[in-house]
Amino acid sequence: MLSTLIWLPIFGAALISLVPMNRSRLAALTIATLNLLWTLSLLWRFDLGTSAMQMQEVLPWLDSLGLTYTLGVDGLSLPLLALNSVLIWIVIYSSSEQIIRPRLFYVLTLLVCGGIAGAFLAQNLLLFVLFYEVELIPLYLMIAIWGGQKRDYAAMKFLIYTAVSGVLILVGFLGLTWLSGSSSFDYNAVSPSNLPLNAQLILLTILLVGFGIKTPLIPLHTWLPDAYVEASPPVAILLGGILAKLGTYGIVRFGLQLFPETWTLVSPGLAIIGVVSVLYGALTAISQTDIKRMVAYSSIGHMGYVLVACAAGTQLSLLGAIGQMVSHGLILALLFYLVGVVEAKVGTRELDQLNGLLNPIRGLPLTSSLLVVGGMASAGIPGLVGFVAEFLVFQGSFSTFPIITLLCIIASGLTAVYFVILLNRTCFGKLDNDTAYYPQVTMREQTPALVLAALILFLGVQPTWLLRWTEPTTNVMVAALTTNHVEQVALNDQPTMSGFQTPTFRN
Amino acid sequence: MTLATPTKTALPPSEHEFADVIHRLEAGGAMLPDTPENLMQIIGLYKAYAVPMDFYWRDLLYIAEQVFLDPLPMFKYFISQEYLDLHNHYAGDDADLRIWRGEATAHPELLAFMEKGETFKMPKLFHHLWHDRINMEFAEECMRAMLWHRGMGGQFDPYLDSDEYKANADRAIKAYFKYNPLMLGLYKLFPDMFLEQCRQMSYYANLGLFWEIMAPVFFEMSDLYDEGKLTSVPEAMNFLVNGIFAIAGRPIYHHVYIRGECYEIIPKSKGFMWLYEAALPYVEAVFYRTSPFRGTKSYNAQAKQVPEDQKDFHFGILYADVFPVGTAGIPPTLLMQDMLHFLPPYLVEYYQKHCRGEDDTLIQLGISFQRSMYCVTSAVIQALRTALLYPLDDPNPKHLEANRAFFEAQLDRFKRPEARLRNIQKQDYR
Repeated sequence: MLSTLIWLPIFGAALISLVPMNRSRLAALTIATLNLLWTLSLLWRFDLGTSAMQMQEVLPWLDSLGLTYTLGVDGLSLPLLALNSVLIWIVIYSSSEQIIRPRLFYVLTLLVCGGIAGAFLAQNLLLFVLFYEVELIPLYLMIAIWGGQKRDYAAMKFLIYTAVSGVLILVGFLGLTWLSGSSSFDYNAVSPSNLPLNAQLILLTILLVGFGIKTPLIPLHTWLPDAYVEASPPVAILLGGILAKLGTYGIVRFGLQLFPETWTLVSPGLAIIGVVSVLYGALTAISQTDIKRMVAYSSIGHMGYVLVACAAGTQLSLLGAIGQMVSHGLILALLFYLVGVVEAKVGTRELDQLNGLLNPIRGLPLTSSLLVVGGMASAGIPGLVGFVAEFLVFQGSFSTFPIITLLCIIASGLTAVYFVILLNRTCFGKLDNDTAYYPQVTMREQTPALVLAALILFLGVQPTWLLRWTEPTTNVMVAALTTNHVEQVALNDQPTMSGFQTPTFRN
Repeated sequence: MTLATPTKTALPPSEHEFADVIHRLEAGGAMLPDTPENLMQIIGLYKAYAVPMDFYWRDLLYIAEQVFLDPLPMFKYFISQEYLDLHNHYAGDDADLRIWRGEATAHPELLAFMEKGETFKMPKLFHHLWHDRINMEFAEECMRAMLWHRGMGGQFDPYLDSDEYKANADRAIKAYFKYNPLMLGLYKLFPDMFLEQCRQMSYYANLGLFWEIMAPVFFEMSDLYDEGKLTSVPEAMNFLVNGIFAIAGRPIYHHVYIRGECYEIIPKSKGFMWLYEAALPYVEAVFYRTSPFRGTKSYNAQAKQVPEDQKDFHFGILYADVFPVGTAGIPPTLLMQDMLHFLPPYLVEYYQKHCRGEDDTLIQLGISFQRSMYCVTSAVIQALRTALLYPLDDPNPKHLEANRAFFEAQLDRFKRPEARLRNIQKQDYR
């Protein structure tokens, strides 16, 4: 059942390498569509009433090493699996028909898809590392082959950082397993609670650095601007929309969930790193003149919200953190896609050259309108999915880290600032007579952006569809945290999804 | 008349910024480069412009002569059948001077469009409210430009301030409001306001009479092109120059018909001539000057983005930025919309092949219109040179120098960055 999400894309990738070049896109799209449908069927069958792992699959593999093929899905991994399937479909659909070496592109994309699904589903630490590493080479190749002018540099930087991340995670997992005396790497067999606090702190730090590189968090972020900017738009969607989520997923799954006692010790520091990421991302984005780089830096900021929410460790903040992962994936994918369209049609990403794209006759009116939607969603405007996630993060984190949360709220205002700059200079103003002979954006090219915008809007007005899967899991995570956080300021003692929908205010 | 084309210029090359254009003018050409593509665009646009123009001139005269000072002229665009049947003096069998070989009454394509519009046959009022009609707003904007700028030479404009004009207007105003004591009372209180409205009506008549000639000229050029008798841009320009001279003396007047009686506010006997009292002020006001259209671009007057002196205004079609204009619901856009209905098939096909095809035809035809108006302006410049200076093949170098100085002075007006003269030299300006 769950294996399908891993092996359908991987076997599909093998199959594509055999089909004729001109059919590879259709074949990849078919596989991505089947994968998406399968994920939707998972959502249908997922039991919302339990926090336990569901639909588990266990197969012995290398028992002597403690490696078993154990898969499972819970409220943390399910939304990210869905995000993975949606964005892979978008990536394949949005890839140009004139792309060079199409078969290789689709093979690598599907390998990434299978690898990421495997990492989200794995219930064994070694299995997780295996899948975590599977996407490393394909993504390196995707940046190096289909990237921009500095693609070699960006790809190598990405490779080095991500390899280091993988090594750190492997070291952390090995240390955790060996020090805890477990003979298996299965999640439920490993428990660091008996380890001395110092050992726990060291292991947690190693894992946080490993996953912090992937997310990325300040100051481990320097690979991100180069990789995101040099990658082609579909690859940037993979990197920002999906891959970064592996980092935040790891922080929640292996940091917060495995080290609940130690987590409360490091959480203030993590919150500070989070807010620094948020402010750094926003302020750096404001100073950019390349719109793709601006979106890339905005990603650092938005990932910072996730860390702040995880550090706060309240039920609402964790709901917000997972919501923010999905929301950010969708919004970033939309923005990267639209930036790609603008670059393809106008031939530049420079703010001082772009102007008047909302012009209904000679501009890119629908693309610009969707860019406005993406900017609004990223800035957390109500009615769009960004608002839901950010509101939950702020609401859930305020009681634990009030000043940091306030700084995050200010940073969300800064998000509005750079998106207003971007939209004002790009979409508004006068179209230049001398340059405005842009090709029209076809309906096929608009479709991915329309799908993403529809999801952003739908989940913005129906946030339960974003959060309902997650609530039982986050409740259990919070219960495991040993410290007693100050209760929510405005909500009930036991906030629930229904509590989110209709907050009950104290007298 | 055909402009002589010297085989070799006797003068050293011009050092003007637009030296190439000046040399072309000296060789009997136009400001617009002579290419088959340019010729096709300008002739196709003349045809597309002439059909709505056939409505414009009729309605302008209808308003000037019949609607006159109606305080609530809600139906001024609902032209009477009498004016649709009005014989153009330069077309048809009974023409004073037959410029076009077609009918003197309203053009058949115009009548067909007025009946069905873009949509379907329905009462005129619905067509009007749906803007599915010929848009007179553009014509009125041109008239207002002429009225607002005034003082652009000629005798017509000073005459509007003369006692004779005031006396004629007074008679017409009193007759028009004979049975309306309220309006007569207002006239008593604010005579200047009524006089100014009357002057505006005189400009309605002026522009109507100007376009009465231009419509058949454009129709004839289109027919000649279709027959293969107009084969180059200079030929097209020469046709215009010849037309200008042939009809230069056509009288400009303003008559008002009130209860069956004709009031001559500006009688034909004043001898105001079409060329000096209508054509030249029109070109100056509409092609060069006009004024910024609201809703297109913000101008900061304090930063001198709007010239202090009206004569320095430069917002006409020769300077127009067609992109924003083409996207706003303002008179030039409405003109483009009008022309869109009457494009010849070859131009429709041409626009389909470029830029965004059907989706930005309005912009493309706007730019073709700009090209065609540069051709008309070239004709006016050559006509003025013919009238005031020397032949292009004059053997006297001093005369040629005088011609060059004239051309350079004319092209100095296009030195400002907004001018599109540079753009129209390139074929890929669409």
